[in-house]
Amino acid sequence: MKKLGMTGLTLALLLTACGEENTVDETEETAEEPVQEEIETGPVTLKDGMGREVEIPEDPENIIASYLEDYLVALDVTPAAQWSISDGAGVQNYLQEELGDVPTIPYDLPYESVLEFSPDLLILRDQPEEDMVSQYAQIAPTYVLESQPTDWRGTLTEIGEVLGEETKAEEVIDAYDQEATEARDLVSENAEGESAAAVWMVDTSLFVVHPERSSGAVLYGDAGFEVPEVVSDLSGDADWAAVSLEELAQMDVDRLFFISDNGEEALTEDRLWQNIPAVENDQVHVFASDSAWLYYGPTANEQVLGHIEDSIAND
Amino acid sequence: MEMRNQKSAGRYTRQSKRTIKLFLFLVGVLLVMFFVSMGAGHLTLSLIDIFKTLIGSGTDSHALLLFQFRIPRLLVAVLVGIGMGVAGAVFQGITQNELADPGIIGIHSGSGLFVVMFLYLTSLYEGSQPWCTQLSLPFVAFIGGITAALMIYILAWKSGVTPVRLILVGIGLNAGFSALLLLVQLKMSDSDFNRALVWLSGSIWNASWQSVWSLLPWILIFLPLTLYKARILAVMQLGEEMALGLGTRVEKEKFLLLIIGVAMAAASVAVAGGIAFLGLVAPHLSRRLVGGKFLRLIPITAVVGAILMVVSDTLARTLLAPAEIPVGLIVSVLGAPYFIYLLMTIKD
Repeated sequence: MKKLGMTGLTLALLLTACGEENTVDETEETAEEPVQEEIETGPVTLKDGMGREVEIPEDPENIIASYLEDYLVALDVTPAAQWSISDGAGVQNYLQEELGDVPTIPYDLPYESVLEFSPDLLILRDQPEEDMVSQYAQIAPTYVLESQPTDWRGTLTEIGEVLGEETKAEEVIDAYDQEATEARDLVSENAEGESAAAVWMVDTSLFVVHPERSSGAVLYGDAGFEVPEVVSDLSGDADWAAVSLEELAQMDVDRLFFISDNGEEALTEDRLWQNIPAVENDQVHVFASDSAWLYYGPTANEQVLGHIEDSIAND
Repeated sequence: MEMRNQKSAGRYTRQSKRTIKLFLFLVGVLLVMFFVSMGAGHLTLSLIDIFKTLIGSGTDSHALLLFQFRIPRLLVAVLVGIGMGVAGAVFQGITQNELADPGIIGIHSGSGLFVVMFLYLTSLYEGSQPWCTQLSLPFVAFIGGITAALMIYILAWKSGVTPVRLILVGIGLNAGFSALLLLVQLKMSDSDFNRALVWLSGSIWNASWQSVWSLLPWILIFLPLTLYKARILAVMQLGEEMALGLGTRVEKEKFLLLIIGVAMAAASVAVAGGIAFLGLVAPHLSRRLVGGKFLRLIPITAVVGAILMVVSDTLARTLLAPAEIPVGLIVSVLGAPYFIYLLMTIKD
């Protein structure tokens, strides 16, 4: 028992020791930075999402911002390498018009792959491991984003600041808002008061988009479709919530934006499916799973707006 | 590199001369593998590049690649190889059981469970410092390892501990700890979960100088201690009654050796995650080479373990480059068949 108490005490000590060092170490961390300062001239210093002071080079040319390419494309910046899975086999297809010639880098950013591109700036998000960030920082100045992944405007503004493209970022947002207004007008003209849902089918499982996230924010917030009750009930903390066909049938939804690679084939025979108003009135619009609907960012959102406008105009 | 064998060269018999030669030869092999591995990877370096960089006249990116990414990683591989190999030899010595690998009997998952819980708890703290966490990990792992070892011993005790009983209880406990681990992991956020998963399958792709510094002291302290205690292990080999007769305080020494073994295994786990079978294969191969005398076996095991890890990690880095295979998987693919072979041939 005594021993148990001792080990418990030791563990508690280790835990608190690691928590409290914070203030002392802040100075140390900045003292470590000079290693990377030598590389650039006339840099700007920004505080990143991890509280580190990061010196951004004046005109970064080789930027790697894996899975944030959407934002770079919106800012007319071509990255040195783009996110990919399965050794370059899987990329963000909806961006390939702009990124077709950009070489791929594995999604987990192995150090040596990053080094290969000799980038002069790395922008990361969701990087919980500080020791990895300090390794990346030895290759190039590494900025960890502060804004939330669900907040594309904040992310765009922040990346704009990092790249010295604040005005461009603002323009992009203004242009987007402009287009959103047009789409909203079109919706109120052709589909006044209609409800809609974006449903994603993977194999036989169905998912419905969160009303404030990803393409959901575009569908409801920007284009102004009504949110079906079931959608707002289901939305938890995930971008896409699992939904059963029964719930989908209850939704009583006027329009379905259906994301699936096999169309609606698997469901056409089902009574529940056939009774959904959107299906009865032939208002199901099908998109491939590599289209912009599953992504975040100004480029994705703009494409989704386009898809919505096309779908309504087709009526 | 290291000249650890000096101690074992106390009595100059023909056999120990042979052991020294073998030791030097193996160190040579390790050095060669070290250099080969320095050049191998997604970005290939020629020998000339390596030498140029080592004497300080290479390009900046080569220097970065070697000094910040490859060399620390290789050093971690060497240290983990030594730690897990020797820990295996110690466990096999204490338990008089050729199958006692700390990975198989649950020491690793005990350490892993505590480490993952610790990481989870520190992730709840906003301002925990990475270097501090890194340095505490071996201690946390050690506490977890000791807990696991004591539980195995208590559960396996039935007026003494028979080898097979120990293995069976160990495997059972291993499964239990793994289940608990999964439970903790499920409480974590997605990114922490993935991190824990990769780490648990045994990976050193993330190794930095920090990992080297957090592991090195443990090896530097406990490897000489093992060598110092090798005589005790040799006496215990004669059987507990004989050892008692020769004046060894068996239970006390056993406990000390257990702590040493757990310390080396746990510190390695803290840095590299659960790499199973290394503690089994390294001592076995070494026993084939120099026989069962611990004074000879320990140094050879240390080098063999290091070689195995360096080779496995080189494969892990190059087979699917630039993607990585966790090095633990490579070691398991090599080690599991050997374990089965041993199970089939061992006499109870």
